[in-house]
Amino acid sequence: MESKLLQIIQDEILGSPEPLTPDSDLFEAGLDSMAIMQLLLHIEDHFQINLEPVDLSRENFRTATKIAALITSKR
Amino acid sequence: MRRSGQGPHLAATVIQHAGEPDPDAIRKAADALGRRHSLLHARVRRSPVTFEAEWLPDPPAAVPVVIHETGNTAEIVKSILNSSSIDIFRPGPNLEIHLLTQGENHTIILLWPHSLFDAIGIDKLIAELDSTDPEPRHDWGETTNSSGSAAALWKTAHPMIEEMRTFPAANIRSLHQPKHTPGAACFEVLAFTQEETQTIHAKMARTVGELLKIPYFAALSARAVAEVIRSRDAEPPDILMSLPIQRIQNPSARPLFQNHMVAWSLLLPHQSLDGLATAAMALYRSYGSFMKRGLPVAMEALTKLSERCPSRLYLLPIKHYLKGEICSLFHSHIGNLAAHTETLFTRPILNAWHVPSVSTPPGIGVFFSERKARLTCTLSWREGSLNAAELVTLRQQLLTDLGVEAPLAP
Repeated sequence: MESKLLQIIQDEILGSPEPLTPDSDLFEAGLDSMAIMQLLLHIEDHFQINLEPVDLSRENFRTATKIAALITSKR
Repeated sequence: MRRSGQGPHLAATVIQHAGEPDPDAIRKAADALGRRHSLLHARVRRSPVTFEAEWLPDPPAAVPVVIHETGNTAEIVKSILNSSSIDIFRPGPNLEIHLLTQGENHTIILLWPHSLFDAIGIDKLIAELDSTDPEPRHDWGETTNSSGSAAALWKTAHPMIEEMRTFPAANIRSLHQPKHTPGAACFEVLAFTQEETQTIHAKMARTVGELLKIPYFAALSARAVAEVIRSRDAEPPDILMSLPIQRIQNPSARPLFQNHMVAWSLLLPHQSLDGLATAAMALYRSYGSFMKRGLPVAMEALTKLSERCPSRLYLLPIKHYLKGEICSLFHSHIGNLAAHTETLFTRPILNAWHVPSVSTPPGIGVFFSERKARLTCTLSWREGSLNAAELVTLRQQLLTDLGVEAPLAP
């Protein structure tokens, strides 16, 4: 799941040549307010989950590992 | 967004500093800056064949530095925003630096045209402002925005045109009042403290979570404008947001000049404006729908088509569809302003914000930025679009949704 998330973030959202790892800080990598909205839409589409306001914390979205853990907990 | 009879579309960036200024250092940097970037003394000309605009550089020269001996920041910003000292269609500077000493501190004000800069560009300009390097620079980012054939653009833009054809069914309104002649650009700045900003962020987190900053601030701006319209009309308004979206996803690849942001048109039906959370989530879903239907590509093509003619011409069909409107308000939340610049000319930056001017229609803009965990909201309008009582309504609705009292004047 982490690799799929990283592929989405790197190829479809950030368009950055910088390689990302599952524990890369995504906000430092350039995940800004607009990019996070795109990521949320991708996650809802790809993983068929509904995210609540309480889920949408910076801590939950800091790394691909943490996002994967959130998705797993919502399934 | 230049409109006939409404003057150049200018914005000011206000940068408050601790300590006394160093005018000599500022003048030397302004001289070098003007020599580094030929576009700071360039004018726009349209090709008589393709009608595409191109910049014609004039001989490099120093960026003018104006020292104000009297007055306060708000008076000076209002005066220079309504001046015509910068006009992208005439020879002359495309940037001015104004300096004002206030007690033990001072303020630097940058005046710039929206045709050449946006908030990203000004961030990059601030980062290189404190330099005496006069060597001409050409590596300031992508500038070619090749648009291709008009026929191909029209085909690509067609889904967005179809989208716009659905808008007349809605009651889209702005603060524009056709009976009033557009007057001077006006503004009010709400500069919140760190504590007030924490309170605002905490309310956002409770309402929509920490991450939906764009729809949250856009929704509360839309609700404030809708509240003013409701005070005029019995019929509740639908709000058409015009949200600026960066074309270039990688922040480090965004250019100093001419970012050519695309504005996405997102409709908020009046029913969705009843609650802040409802409005923010409706906007988020509208954004998602816009993405999924491939409208960003269509909107970019439509923008490129429209760049081939003066705004007064390309706005005609939009105003026809929208019954005299183009959108309900201008809005942006640019995030952190000059986040990587701590000092300028050795003096620490205390706070900074933008003051964009707006045209009418829509006659109103609500703009947010942050600097060192301090949020600033700039309300911008045209005389004739908003009276004193309506300004109170607008401000109070914003503050209610933000969850704070009015801050002290900056």
